[in-house]
Amino acid sequence: MQFTVTDQGDGIAVVHIAGRLNMVTAPRLREVVAASVAAGQNRVAVDLSDVDFIDSSGLGALIGGLKTARQAGGDLRIAAPNEQVRLVLQLTNMERVLTAYPAASDAFHG
Amino acid sequence: MTPALSSVPPILPYSELARQRALDDLQILDTPPEERFDRITRLVKELFHVEIAIISLIDHDRQWNKSSAGIDPDQPTEYPRSIAFCDSTIDACGILIVPDARIDPRFRDNIYVTGAPGIRFYAGHALEAHGGERIGALCVFDTQPREFTALEQNLLRDLAFWVQKELNASQELDQAAAVQRGLLPKKLVSLPGFEVAGACSPARAVGGDFYDWYPVGEGAAFTLADVMGKGVGAAIIAATVRAVLRAGSRLAAVADVAGAAAATLEPDLDEAGSFVTLFHARLDMDTGVIRYVDAGHGLSLVVHANGTTERLTSLRLPVGAGDDSPWEEQQVVLAPGSTLISVSDGVLDLFDGTLASLAAVDRLVRQASTAQAVVDSLMSLAGVSAPDDVTVIVVRREMEG
Repeated sequence: MQFTVTDQGDGIAVVHIAGRLNMVTAPRLREVVAASVAAGQNRVAVDLSDVDFIDSSGLGALIGGLKTARQAGGDLRIAAPNEQVRLVLQLTNMERVLTAYPAASDAFHG
Repeated sequence: MTPALSSVPPILPYSELARQRALDDLQILDTPPEERFDRITRLVKELFHVEIAIISLIDHDRQWNKSSAGIDPDQPTEYPRSIAFCDSTIDACGILIVPDARIDPRFRDNIYVTGAPGIRFYAGHALEAHGGERIGALCVFDTQPREFTALEQNLLRDLAFWVQKELNASQELDQAAAVQRGLLPKKLVSLPGFEVAGACSPARAVGGDFYDWYPVGEGAAFTLADVMGKGVGAAIIAATVRAVLRAGSRLAAVADVAGAAAATLEPDLDEAGSFVTLFHARLDMDTGVIRYVDAGHGLSLVVHANGTTERLTSLRLPVGAGDDSPWEEQQVVLAPGSTLISVSDGVLDLFDGTLASLAAVDRLVRQASTAQAVVDSLMSLAGVSAPDDVTVIVVRREMEG
């Protein structure tokens, strides 16, 4: 699992994740989002294009990140989820608050 | 007949009785080898450059080895306690070092010193059960005399703590699993005209899925919930969710039950960084009306007797995901011959992992003749090694007449 954080300027951070977002890797996502928000980048785009699988812990990290960002007056948006990720979001109704954008660069520049 | 004097059991000191009981409680004696212990003895053998490393347990009058490295597998795994070095270790204050057994008055006449394999060096650290009872030792042997430095003693102590943690962890998990199974509902006795069945197969010893049912008024309440994650952390939260929902059984409306439960749970879920998907329903057994709420669960079907199947809509986000909209209850009627089934997302992985799995669940329900048969067929698919917790609850209304 690899996390890459890119500062897009304008208070926007893009977090790119590769691999499986599960019980093992989810805590790392929480940390990365919290660190970005603490550093003033409270608009976080999570690029899921290279995530092959998400479990409930991974979803929990996205929800946690969303709360953290919103509490700081920002937002967390996701980009390019695959079919399995979409299914998890759809089943839990989380697609209503975690809107998926086609690409991370569009998430805050729609 | 008067027993011969030698067969009268000796009066054991209390500490020995407590020690033996603590060891028996671990239920580890005479169990097969386990990799989690074998990897430690292998490591210990290499680390200290010794010929033999052993995890021994002192049981009544014998020493039994749970794991060993450097001993032929066809050698016995137990020895009389009277000649066991490790028995001295549990009597000593935690650690026993014998640099050269041949010149040590305690061991120079020991048959393993005078005969094969000719032990010269021994170092052992006691292993303790929860209450501090010394139940065995992690020890090393060599046929060459040697010193054992303070640094090596510290290492051996740390490794012994690791073994201890493994010994006690399995027991704690087994106990937790038994408690969690105890929280599952028993057979529902008074729901004439309906059959109810459920099962829960955690991916680990315990899990975050649970189901529940209990009589409420002229019917029953049903729950299927899935706490984020797996294992003990999820199981603790699952027990809390079950309790707060049950506490609401005196309330008339399911929306109020769920709303009150969510208000109680949300600060805890926030603190734990967790969330719960929830299906909670009440059945009126006279009319077959089911009133329900669904918070991000979305995996409940009513398989109607008329051939149609309805997927019950989930209106809300999971509990703990920050949904502050009012709870709304929905309704569906279970006609005679119809079945309500709710499953956890682990069930999708038993098929193709997509929502098409629900069609397979639907077929399975239609093919089965009882609620229990539906549960049994899903559980046989889950087997023993499903990657996620698999939980199912089935309520079937019998045909009339």
